[in-house]
Amino acid sequence: MNNNSNKMFFLFILFFSTLISISSNSWFGCWIGLEINLLSFIPLISNSKNLLSVETSLKYFLTQSLASINFLFMILIKFSLLKNFNMNNIISIMMNSSLLMKMGSAPFHFWFPNIVEGLSWMNNFMLMTWQKISPMILLSYYFNKNFLIFMIITNLIIGSLGGLNQTSLRKLLAFSSINNLGWMIFSIMISENLWLFYFLIYSMMISMMISLFFLMNMYFMNQLFINNMNFFIKLNLLINFLSLGGLPPFMGFMPKWIIINFLLINKFYFLTFIFMMTSLIIIYYYIRIIYSSFMFNYFKMKWVNLLMKNNMSLINLSSFISISSMILSTFIFM
Amino acid sequence: MLIYDIWFLFIYMFSVGNLIFVSKNKHLLVVLLSLEFIVLSIFFFFLVLLMFIDYDMYMLMVFLVFSVCEGSLGLSILVSMIRSHGNDYFQSFSML
Repeated sequence: MNNNSNKMFFLFILFFSTLISISSNSWFGCWIGLEINLLSFIPLISNSKNLLSVETSLKYFLTQSLASINFLFMILIKFSLLKNFNMNNIISIMMNSSLLMKMGSAPFHFWFPNIVEGLSWMNNFMLMTWQKISPMILLSYYFNKNFLIFMIITNLIIGSLGGLNQTSLRKLLAFSSINNLGWMIFSIMISENLWLFYFLIYSMMISMMISLFFLMNMYFMNQLFINNMNFFIKLNLLINFLSLGGLPPFMGFMPKWIIINFLLINKFYFLTFIFMMTSLIIIYYYIRIIYSSFMFNYFKMKWVNLLMKNNMSLINLSSFISISSMILSTFIFM
Repeated sequence: MLIYDIWFLFIYMFSVGNLIFVSKNKHLLVVLLSLEFIVLSIFFFFLVLLMFIDYDMYMLMVFLVFSVCEGSLGLSILVSMIRSHGNDYFQSFSML
């Protein structure tokens, strides 16, 4: 059932569901948006009829429906306790927990690498970027600062330590996504503009990586080493991985720099330490991959001949954007 | 809000539904039934809440429509699973 008009219809509803959720007047409208999001994403991912796609869509449905029904129950309890502000702590913790489960953040993250392993690259891109928008914005409406700081620390640690033993590229990006969720939730607590900035740059970086992997049809790490890739593809891979890890001359450093600036000015020293150390672990396993892929000269297999395809003309442009955007962004105010 | 004891019933129903949802079951259908039970408890809760706002039940109908859509989506996934695996046992999940 590879019907493109099906996909266009469900994509349209998916975009609108996020808009419904974030622009509603009441919490009930937010819940409606989340439900429509679930209803329109499931047909997008359960398109083929193999075992893997069924299991994926089942796991996604179960976790997301549980989270959204819990969210609604907490909305009703909040509604019924109008003047009783003593219960604010508990209710905000429960509502934040259900939204964190929707996003795939730790400690409710166990479904996320499993599902990412079962989806194609384009569906992964949808899951990692668009599906995170409405839970994040709903989180910014009613968050509990102490609870969220604890969740951020958990996110960072699990995202960095979980990716150490992975060989599948999808699961690697899933754990990297969990780690970046930690940064993003903290940026929500600073200001919503900063969250938007971080989210846009993060989705741009993820889109560059995923489009590269999609064009070369790569799902596992050994595929990076076996092929005799063009030099520019390898260079683009290097730049994208380092940019995702947050190394300075690349684009991915900019939002992390702003967050660290805020942390240090306001004396959040312990949190800064955790942010830095987990970023270090992430950069370690990125560099482990690209060092092997970029520096070494592997056996050139004759039957796997990866030419520059016709639709790879954007690779040079994306590398240029990743390298130069930090410097070019200083020219905005000229 | 004159009677507060009814909340125990709602919280109890909701908790029992959640407990069955997260328990280890043999069939997938039990999980979907527990989801419907949670929806039922929220329906009851919503009904009682809305009775205190001059009987405005429109929101309840909207909630009912969305929950039914969600339940039918779960059932369609169950059908898809039976078509590919042959049964709805949880033991047949070995891919991921």
